[in-house]
Amino acid sequence: MSPTIKGTAHPRFAAALAALFCLVLIPTINLNAADAAVQVQLDIKKAGPRDVESLTERGILRDYRFAWTSMAQALEFNTFDPLEGAFSGDAKQWLRQTVVSQQQSGLSQRYLDQNHQLEAVFYAPEGDVMELHDTAQYQLQIRDGDKTIHDEHVVVHYVVLMTPGSDRWVIRQLQAVPQF
Amino acid sequence: MCGAQDFHVPDSAVAGDEATISTQGGGKAILYLVGPGVSRKSEVTLGEDVRLAPQELRNAGDYLAILCSGTCHGENFYVTAAMPASLTFLVHPSRVPVAQGDAVSGVAFPFDKYHNLALAPENISFQLTTKDASLWSRASRTQNGVAWFRTASGKSAGPVQVTASLGDLTSHRALQQVASDPCNLGISGQRTRSGILVQTGPVHDCAGNPVSDGTIVTFTETGANGTDTVDAPIKQGIARAQLEAPGAVSISVASGVVMGNEIHVGAQP
Repeated sequence: MSPTIKGTAHPRFAAALAALFCLVLIPTINLNAADAAVQVQLDIKKAGPRDVESLTERGILRDYRFAWTSMAQALEFNTFDPLEGAFSGDAKQWLRQTVVSQQQSGLSQRYLDQNHQLEAVFYAPEGDVMELHDTAQYQLQIRDGDKTIHDEHVVVHYVVLMTPGSDRWVIRQLQAVPQF
Repeated sequence: MCGAQDFHVPDSAVAGDEATISTQGGGKAILYLVGPGVSRKSEVTLGEDVRLAPQELRNAGDYLAILCSGTCHGENFYVTAAMPASLTFLVHPSRVPVAQGDAVSGVAFPFDKYHNLALAPENISFQLTTKDASLWSRASRTQNGVAWFRTASGKSAGPVQVTASLGDLTSHRALQQVASDPCNLGISGQRTRSGILVQTGPVHDCAGNPVSDGTIVTFTETGANGTDTVDAPIKQGIARAQLEAPGAVSISVASGVVMGNEIHVGAQP
Protein backbone atom coordinates (compact mmCIF):
# COMPACT_ATOMS: atom_id res chain seq x y z
CA MET A 1 0.00 0.00 0.00
CA SER A 2 1.10 3.40 -0.67
CA PRO A 3 1.08 4.65 2.99
CA THR A 4 3.59 1.93 3.91
CA ILE A 5 5.73 2.77 0.98
CA LYS A 6 5.61 6.43 1.90
CA GLY A 7 6.41 5.62 5.53
CA THR A 8 9.65 3.82 4.66
CA ALA A 9 10.83 5.10 1.32
CA HIS A 10 10.08 8.79 1.58
CA PRO A 11 12.51 9.60 4.41
CA ARG A 12 15.30 7.84 2.51
CA PHE A 13 14.35 9.66 -0.64
CA ALA A 14 14.29 12.93 1.27
CA ALA A 15 17.71 12.21 2.76
CA ALA A 16 19.10 11.41 -0.68
CA LEU A 17 17.53 14.56 -2.05
CA ALA A 18 19.03 16.59 0.79
CA ALA A 19 22.44 15.07 0.12
CA LEU A 20 22.09 15.84 -3.56
CA PHE A 21 21.11 19.40 -2.65
CA CYS A 22 24.21 19.74 -0.50
CA LEU A 23 26.48 18.34 -3.18
CA VAL A 24 25.08 20.22 -6.14
CA LEU A 25 23.43 23.38 -5.01
CA ILE A 26 25.36 24.63 -1.99
CA PRO A 27 28.59 25.30 -3.93
CA THR A 28 26.50 27.23 -6.43
CA ILE A 29 24.86 29.21 -3.66
CA ASN A 30 28.31 29.92 -2.16
CA LEU A 31 29.60 31.09 -5.54
CA ASN A 32 26.60 33.32 -6.00
CA ALA A 33 26.97 34.67 -2.48
CA ALA A 34 30.64 35.38 -3.10
CA ASP A 35 29.78 36.92 -6.45
CA ALA A 36 27.29 39.24 -4.77
CA ALA A 37 30.07 40.41 -2.44
CA VAL A 38 32.11 41.67 -5.42
CA GLN A 39 31.03 45.16 -6.38
CA VAL A 40 32.03 46.42 -9.82
CA GLN A 41 31.34 49.80 -11.38
CA LEU A 42 32.33 50.38 -15.00
CA ASP A 43 33.01 53.73 -16.64
CA ILE A 44 33.19 53.58 -20.44
CA LYS A 45 33.43 57.31 -21.18
CA LYS A 46 37.14 57.19 -22.04
CA ALA A 47 36.97 54.02 -24.09
CA GLY A 48 38.02 54.31 -27.71
CA PRO A 49 38.59 54.22 -30.60
CA ARG A 50 35.57 51.93 -30.71
CA ASP A 51 32.46 52.77 -28.75
CA VAL A 52 31.44 50.28 -26.10
CA GLU A 53 27.98 48.93 -26.90
CA SER A 54 25.58 48.52 -23.99
CA LEU A 55 25.53 44.75 -24.42
CA THR A 56 29.32 44.69 -24.22
CA GLU A 57 29.25 46.93 -21.16
CA ARG A 58 26.94 44.52 -19.37
CA GLY A 59 29.08 41.58 -20.46
CA ILE A 60 32.24 43.16 -19.10
CA LEU A 61 30.57 43.94 -15.78
CA ARG A 62 29.22 40.42 -15.45
CA ASP A 63 32.40 38.65 -16.50
CA TYR A 64 34.81 40.84 -14.55
CA ARG A 65 32.81 40.29 -11.39
CA PHE A 66 32.75 36.57 -12.09
CA ALA A 67 36.49 36.52 -12.70
CA TRP A 68 37.28 38.13 -9.35
CA THR A 69 34.86 35.83 -7.57
CA SER A 70 36.60 32.89 -9.23
CA MET A 71 40.06 34.20 -8.47
CA ALA A 72 39.18 34.73 -4.81
CA GLN A 73 37.89 31.17 -4.57
CA ALA A 74 40.95 29.72 -6.29
CA LEU A 75 43.38 31.56 -4.02
CA GLU A 76 41.42 30.90 -0.85
CA PHE A 77 40.91 27.17 -1.40
CA ASN A 78 44.03 26.60 -3.53
CA THR A 79 42.18 24.98 -6.40
CA PHE A 80 42.44 25.48 -10.15
CA ASP A 81 38.84 24.82 -11.12
CA PRO A 82 37.45 28.33 -10.54
CA LEU A 83 40.07 29.75 -12.93
CA GLU A 84 38.65 27.82 -15.88
CA GLY A 85 36.60 30.01 -18.16
CA ALA A 86 37.26 33.35 -16.49
CA PHE A 87 40.96 33.65 -17.26
CA SER A 88 43.16 32.92 -20.23
CA GLY A 89 46.74 33.33 -21.36
CA ASP A 90 49.26 34.91 -19.03
CA ALA A 91 46.75 35.83 -16.34
CA LYS A 92 45.63 32.24 -16.06
CA GLN A 93 49.21 31.03 -16.05
CA TRP A 94 50.38 33.17 -13.15
CA LEU A 95 47.23 32.45 -11.19
CA ARG A 96 47.85 28.73 -11.60
CA GLN A 97 51.46 29.28 -10.55
CA THR A 98 50.22 31.08 -7.46
CA VAL A 99 47.89 28.21 -6.56
CA VAL A 100 50.69 25.66 -7.03
CA SER A 101 53.04 27.78 -4.96
CA GLN A 102 50.44 28.21 -2.21
CA GLN A 103 49.78 24.47 -2.15
CA GLN A 104 53.50 23.99 -1.49
CA SER A 105 53.88 26.73 1.10
CA GLY A 106 50.58 26.12 2.90
CA LEU A 107 49.47 29.72 2.41
CA SER A 108 46.15 31.02 1.18
CA GLN A 109 44.67 34.42 0.43
CA ARG A 110 41.24 35.81 1.09
CA TYR A 111 39.82 38.76 -0.82
CA LEU A 112 36.92 40.17 1.18
CA ASP A 113 34.53 43.08 0.58
CA GLN A 114 35.76 43.69 -2.92
CA ASN A 115 34.96 46.93 -4.67
CA HIS A 116 36.24 47.58 -8.19
CA GLN A 117 36.12 50.97 -9.92
CA LEU A 118 36.65 49.85 -13.49
CA GLU A 119 37.41 52.22 -16.34
CA ALA A 120 37.67 51.19 -19.98
CA VAL A 121 40.62 53.09 -21.49
CA PHE A 122 41.00 51.33 -24.83
CA TYR A 123 38.65 49.34 -27.02
CA ALA A 124 40.22 48.08 -30.24
CA PRO A 125 38.71 49.17 -33.58
CA GLU A 126 37.50 45.64 -34.31
CA GLY A 127 36.34 44.95 -30.76
CA ASP A 128 38.77 42.10 -30.16
CA VAL A 129 40.51 43.49 -27.09
CA MET A 130 39.70 45.95 -24.33
CA GLU A 131 42.06 47.53 -21.82
CA LEU A 132 40.67 48.54 -18.46
CA HIS A 133 41.98 50.21 -15.34
CA ASP A 134 40.70 48.86 -12.09
CA THR A 135 41.05 50.68 -8.79
CA ALA A 136 40.30 47.77 -6.51
CA GLN A 137 39.67 47.96 -2.79
CA TYR A 138 39.37 44.90 -0.62
CA GLN A 139 40.28 43.36 2.69
CA LEU A 140 43.26 41.12 2.02
CA GLN A 141 43.92 38.30 4.44
CA ILE A 142 46.98 36.07 4.17
CA ARG A 143 46.69 32.80 6.03
CA ASP A 144 49.32 30.24 6.91
CA GLY A 145 47.21 27.16 7.43
CA ASP A 146 44.48 28.29 9.83
CA LYS A 147 46.43 31.26 11.14
CA THR A 148 45.89 34.73 9.72
CA ILE A 149 49.30 36.36 9.42
CA HIS A 150 48.22 39.49 7.58
CA ASP A 151 44.92 41.37 7.44
CA GLU A 152 44.83 44.69 5.67
CA HIS A 153 42.47 46.91 3.71
CA VAL A 154 44.26 47.61 0.44
CA VAL A 155 43.77 49.76 -2.63
CA VAL A 156 45.44 48.26 -5.69
CA HIS A 157 45.54 49.53 -9.25
CA TYR A 158 45.28 46.89 -11.95
CA VAL A 159 45.83 47.13 -15.69
CA VAL A 160 43.56 44.59 -17.30
CA LEU A 161 43.33 43.18 -20.82
CA MET A 162 40.10 41.38 -21.68
CA THR A 163 39.23 39.61 -24.89
CA PRO A 164 35.93 38.15 -26.03
CA GLY A 165 35.65 34.38 -25.89
CA SER A 166 32.95 32.22 -27.34
CA ASP A 167 30.37 33.19 -24.74
CA ARG A 168 32.06 35.64 -22.37
CA TRP A 169 34.87 38.11 -21.90
CA VAL A 170 37.99 36.61 -20.37
CA ILE A 171 40.89 38.26 -18.56
CA ARG A 172 44.18 37.72 -20.38
CA GLN A 173 46.32 40.16 -18.43
CA LEU A 174 45.92 41.31 -14.84
CA GLN A 175 48.85 43.39 -13.73
CA ALA A 176 49.04 45.53 -10.59
CA VAL A 177 50.78 48.88 -10.96
CA PRO A 178 51.72 51.60 -8.44
CA GLN A 179 49.48 54.11 -10.19
CA PHE A 180 47.86 54.75 -13.56
CA MET B 1 58.72 41.74 18.26
CA CYS B 2 59.16 42.77 14.70
CA GLY B 3 58.30 46.35 13.77
CA ALA B 4 58.14 48.37 10.58
CA GLN B 5 61.75 49.44 11.02
CA ASP B 6 63.02 45.89 11.11
CA PHE B 7 63.03 45.13 7.39
CA HIS B 8 63.04 46.95 4.11
CA VAL B 9 61.60 45.83 0.82
CA PRO B 10 63.04 47.06 -2.51
CA ASP B 11 62.02 50.59 -3.47
CA SER B 12 61.58 49.36 -6.99
CA ALA B 13 62.19 46.10 -8.78
CA VAL B 14 62.19 45.00 -12.39
CA ALA B 15 60.71 41.72 -13.56
CA GLY B 16 63.29 38.96 -13.75
CA ASP B 17 65.92 40.90 -11.80
CA GLU B 18 67.26 39.84 -8.45
CA ALA B 19 66.22 41.94 -5.45
CA THR B 20 66.99 42.03 -1.77
CA ILE B 21 65.01 42.43 1.43
CA SER B 22 67.17 43.73 4.22
CA THR B 23 66.38 42.84 7.83
CA GLN B 24 67.62 44.19 11.12
CA GLY B 25 67.96 42.80 14.61
CA GLY B 26 68.89 39.28 15.59
CA GLY B 27 67.42 35.82 15.92
CA LYS B 28 65.22 33.82 13.60
CA ALA B 29 62.07 34.92 11.84
CA ILE B 30 59.70 33.69 9.16
CA LEU B 31 59.57 35.61 5.91
CA TYR B 32 56.60 35.23 3.61
CA LEU B 33 56.59 36.52 0.06
CA VAL B 34 53.21 36.68 -1.69
CA GLY B 35 52.87 37.96 -5.22
CA PRO B 36 51.71 37.03 -8.71
CA GLY B 37 52.90 33.48 -9.25
CA VAL B 38 54.78 33.20 -5.98
CA SER B 39 53.95 32.17 -2.43
CA ARG B 40 57.06 31.61 -0.38
CA LYS B 41 57.62 30.81 3.28
CA SER B 42 61.17 30.66 4.57
CA GLU B 43 63.08 30.97 7.79
CA VAL B 44 65.49 33.89 7.85
CA THR B 45 68.10 35.22 10.22
CA LEU B 46 67.38 38.77 11.24
CA GLY B 47 70.19 41.13 10.45
CA GLU B 48 70.94 39.40 7.18
CA ASP B 49 69.76 40.28 3.70
CA VAL B 50 67.26 38.01 2.06
CA ARG B 51 67.81 37.39 -1.62
CA LEU B 52 64.80 37.29 -3.89
CA ALA B 53 65.68 35.16 -6.89
CA PRO B 54 64.92 36.42 -10.42
CA GLN B 55 62.44 33.61 -11.01
CA GLU B 56 60.43 34.74 -7.98
CA LEU B 57 59.98 38.18 -9.52
CA ARG B 58 59.14 37.27 -13.11
CA ASN B 59 55.60 38.59 -12.99
CA ALA B 60 55.06 42.32 -12.79
CA GLY B 61 52.68 43.39 -10.08
CA ASP B 62 52.13 43.89 -6.39
CA TYR B 63 54.21 41.84 -3.95
CA LEU B 64 53.77 41.58 -0.21
CA ALA B 65 56.58 40.62 2.13
CA ILE B 66 55.56 39.61 5.66
CA LEU B 67 58.10 39.14 8.39
CA CYS B 68 56.97 37.24 11.48
CA SER B 69 58.98 37.17 14.65
CA GLY B 70 56.51 37.06 17.49
CA THR B 71 54.17 39.29 15.59
CA CYS B 72 53.93 39.81 11.85
CA HIS B 73 54.46 42.91 9.80
CA GLY B 74 53.95 43.33 6.07
CA GLU B 75 55.40 45.67 3.47
CA ASN B 76 54.47 45.74 -0.17
CA PHE B 77 56.47 46.64 -3.25
CA TYR B 78 55.92 46.65 -6.99
CA VAL B 79 57.73 44.82 -9.72
CA THR B 80 57.53 46.58 -13.07
CA ALA B 81 57.81 45.08 -16.54
CA ALA B 82 61.27 44.73 -18.07
CA MET B 83 62.24 46.06 -21.50
CA PRO B 84 59.92 45.09 -24.36
CA ALA B 85 60.94 41.78 -25.87
CA SER B 86 57.98 40.98 -28.10
CA LEU B 87 55.09 42.67 -29.83
CA THR B 88 51.59 41.26 -29.87
CA PHE B 89 50.14 42.59 -33.09
CA LEU B 90 46.52 42.18 -34.17
CA VAL B 91 45.50 43.20 -37.69
CA HIS B 92 42.03 43.20 -39.25
CA PRO B 93 40.72 42.11 -41.66
CA SER B 94 42.66 39.34 -43.41
CA ARG B 95 40.98 40.11 -46.77
CA VAL B 96 39.95 43.61 -47.71
CA PRO B 97 38.56 45.21 -50.87
CA VAL B 98 40.82 47.85 -52.39
CA ALA B 99 40.28 51.58 -51.91
CA GLN B 100 38.10 51.29 -48.82
CA GLY B 101 38.41 54.05 -46.24
CA ASP B 102 39.43 53.04 -42.69
CA ALA B 103 39.24 49.42 -43.75
CA VAL B 104 42.48 48.17 -42.16
CA SER B 105 43.26 48.45 -38.47
CA GLY B 106 45.97 47.15 -36.20
CA VAL B 107 46.70 47.08 -32.49
CA ALA B 108 50.11 46.45 -30.93
CA PHE B 109 51.01 45.63 -27.33
CA PRO B 110 54.67 45.45 -26.23
CA PHE B 111 55.48 42.71 -23.72
CA ASP B 112 58.69 41.93 -21.88
CA LYS B 113 60.27 38.49 -22.05
CA TYR B 114 58.18 37.34 -19.10
CA HIS B 115 54.94 38.35 -20.86
CA ASN B 116 54.34 41.40 -18.69
CA LEU B 117 52.69 44.31 -20.46
CA ALA B 118 55.31 47.05 -20.92
CA LEU B 119 53.51 50.19 -19.83
CA ALA B 120 56.28 52.75 -20.33
CA PRO B 121 55.57 54.83 -23.47
CA GLU B 122 57.29 53.45 -26.56
CA ASN B 123 57.32 54.50 -30.20
CA ILE B 124 55.89 51.90 -32.54
CA SER B 125 56.10 52.22 -36.32
CA PHE B 126 53.34 50.77 -38.43
CA GLN B 127 53.83 50.12 -42.11
CA LEU B 128 51.85 48.63 -45.00
CA THR B 129 53.96 47.39 -47.90
CA THR B 130 53.52 45.43 -51.08
CA LYS B 131 56.42 43.58 -52.65
CA ASP B 132 57.15 46.69 -54.72
CA ALA B 133 56.28 49.68 -52.62
CA SER B 134 55.42 51.16 -49.29
CA LEU B 135 51.71 51.96 -49.19
CA TRP B 136 51.50 53.72 -45.87
CA SER B 137 53.41 54.24 -42.65
CA ARG B 138 52.94 55.98 -39.34
CA ALA B 139 54.67 56.17 -35.98
CA SER B 140 52.53 55.92 -32.90
CA ARG B 141 53.43 56.21 -29.23
CA THR B 142 52.01 53.63 -26.85
CA GLN B 143 49.58 54.88 -24.28
CA ASN B 144 48.76 52.55 -21.40
CA GLY B 145 50.81 49.91 -23.18
CA VAL B 146 48.97 49.97 -26.48
CA ALA B 147 49.36 51.64 -29.88
CA TRP B 148 46.98 51.32 -32.78
CA PHE B 149 46.25 52.53 -36.30
CA ARG B 150 43.45 52.60 -38.81
CA THR B 151 43.90 53.35 -42.49
CA ALA B 152 42.44 52.87 -45.96
CA SER B 153 43.26 49.88 -48.08
CA GLY B 154 45.51 50.36 -51.11
CA LYS B 155 44.49 50.57 -54.75
CA SER B 156 45.93 47.31 -56.09
CA ALA B 157 44.78 43.80 -55.42
CA GLY B 158 47.39 41.43 -53.99
CA PRO B 159 49.19 40.55 -50.79
CA VAL B 160 50.12 43.30 -48.36
CA GLN B 161 52.51 42.97 -45.46
CA VAL B 162 51.60 44.88 -42.32
CA THR B 163 54.48 45.53 -39.95
CA ALA B 164 54.77 46.87 -36.44
CA SER B 165 58.27 47.77 -35.26
CA LEU B 166 59.64 48.82 -31.91
CA GLY B 167 63.40 49.24 -32.01
CA ASP B 168 64.77 45.88 -33.10
CA LEU B 169 61.45 44.16 -32.54
CA THR B 170 59.31 43.57 -35.58
CA SER B 171 56.04 41.77 -35.99
CA HIS B 172 54.57 40.96 -39.41
CA ARG B 173 51.04 40.17 -40.49
CA ALA B 174 49.75 39.52 -44.00
CA LEU B 175 46.50 40.61 -45.53
CA GLN B 176 45.08 40.13 -48.99
CA GLN B 177 43.71 43.08 -50.88
CA VAL B 178 41.05 41.97 -53.31
CA ALA B 179 39.20 43.79 -56.07
CA SER B 180 36.33 45.95 -55.01
CA ASP B 181 32.88 46.02 -56.65
CA PRO B 182 32.78 45.80 -60.46
CA CYS B 183 32.97 49.05 -62.34
CA ASN B 184 31.62 49.86 -65.83
CA LEU B 185 29.93 46.48 -66.06
CA GLY B 186 29.13 45.92 -69.72
CA ILE B 187 27.45 43.08 -71.61
CA SER B 188 26.98 41.94 -75.13
CA GLY B 189 24.57 39.35 -76.48
CA GLN B 190 23.82 37.41 -79.61
CA ARG B 191 21.08 35.12 -80.61
CA THR B 192 21.95 31.45 -81.08
CA ARG B 193 19.88 28.43 -82.11
CA SER B 194 18.94 27.72 -78.52
CA GLY B 195 18.34 31.26 -77.30
CA ILE B 196 20.53 34.20 -76.46
CA LEU B 197 24.15 33.96 -75.35
CA VAL B 198 24.93 36.93 -73.19
CA GLN B 199 28.27 37.72 -71.58
CA THR B 200 30.16 40.45 -69.86
CA GLY B 201 33.44 41.90 -70.90
CA PRO B 202 36.38 41.39 -68.56
CA VAL B 203 35.04 42.49 -65.17
CA HIS B 204 37.22 44.98 -63.29
CA ASP B 205 36.77 47.25 -60.31
CA CYS B 206 37.17 51.00 -60.68
CA ALA B 207 40.92 50.73 -60.00
CA GLY B 208 41.35 48.22 -62.82
CA ASN B 209 41.77 45.11 -60.65
CA PRO B 210 40.14 41.97 -62.10
CA VAL B 211 37.14 41.04 -60.00
CA SER B 212 37.61 37.63 -58.38
CA ASP B 213 36.35 34.54 -60.16
CA GLY B 214 33.23 33.22 -58.50
CA THR B 215 31.72 36.66 -58.01
CA ILE B 216 28.07 36.39 -59.05
CA VAL B 217 26.73 38.43 -61.94
CA THR B 218 22.98 38.60 -62.45
CA PHE B 219 21.45 38.81 -65.94
CA THR B 220 17.81 39.91 -66.15
CA GLU B 221 15.75 39.55 -69.33
CA THR B 222 12.48 41.40 -69.74
CA GLY B 223 10.16 40.60 -72.62
CA ALA B 224 6.56 40.00 -73.58
CA ASN B 225 6.48 36.91 -71.39
CA GLY B 226 7.66 38.73 -68.30
CA THR B 227 10.95 38.83 -66.47
CA ASP B 228 13.48 36.08 -65.96
CA THR B 229 16.74 36.13 -64.03
CA VAL B 230 19.91 34.06 -64.35
CA ASP B 231 22.86 34.18 -61.95
CA ALA B 232 26.28 33.30 -63.32
CA PRO B 233 29.68 33.28 -61.62
CA ILE B 234 32.64 35.04 -63.14
CA LYS B 235 35.01 32.52 -64.69
CA GLN B 236 38.40 33.64 -65.96
CA GLY B 237 37.27 37.24 -65.65
CA ILE B 238 34.04 36.90 -67.62
CA ALA B 239 30.48 35.91 -66.73
CA ARG B 240 28.22 34.39 -69.36
CA ALA B 241 24.75 32.87 -69.50
CA GLN B 242 22.41 31.25 -71.98
CA LEU B 243 18.89 32.74 -71.97
CA GLU B 244 15.88 31.00 -73.52
CA ALA B 245 13.97 33.86 -75.10
CA PRO B 246 12.35 33.40 -78.50
CA GLY B 247 10.84 36.88 -78.54
CA ALA B 248 12.43 40.31 -78.36
CA VAL B 249 13.86 41.07 -74.95
CA SER B 250 15.79 43.65 -73.01
CA ILE B 251 18.67 42.28 -70.98
CA SER B 252 20.30 44.08 -68.07
CA VAL B 253 23.18 43.10 -65.81
CA ALA B 254 24.10 43.71 -62.20
CA SER B 255 26.63 42.49 -59.65
CA GLY B 256 25.96 43.27 -56.04
CA VAL B 257 24.82 46.87 -55.92
CA VAL B 258 26.44 47.73 -59.27
CA MET B 259 24.26 48.02 -62.37
CA GLY B 260 25.62 47.60 -65.88
CA ASN B 261 24.32 48.49 -69.32
CA GLU B 262 21.14 47.23 -70.95
CA ILE B 263 20.94 45.65 -74.39
CA HIS B 264 18.01 44.83 -76.66
CA VAL B 265 17.89 41.60 -78.68
CA GLY B 266 15.31 41.11 -81.39
CA ALA B 267 12.96 38.16 -81.79
CA GLN B 268 14.10 34.86 -83.27
CA PRO B 269 13.70 34.99 -87.09
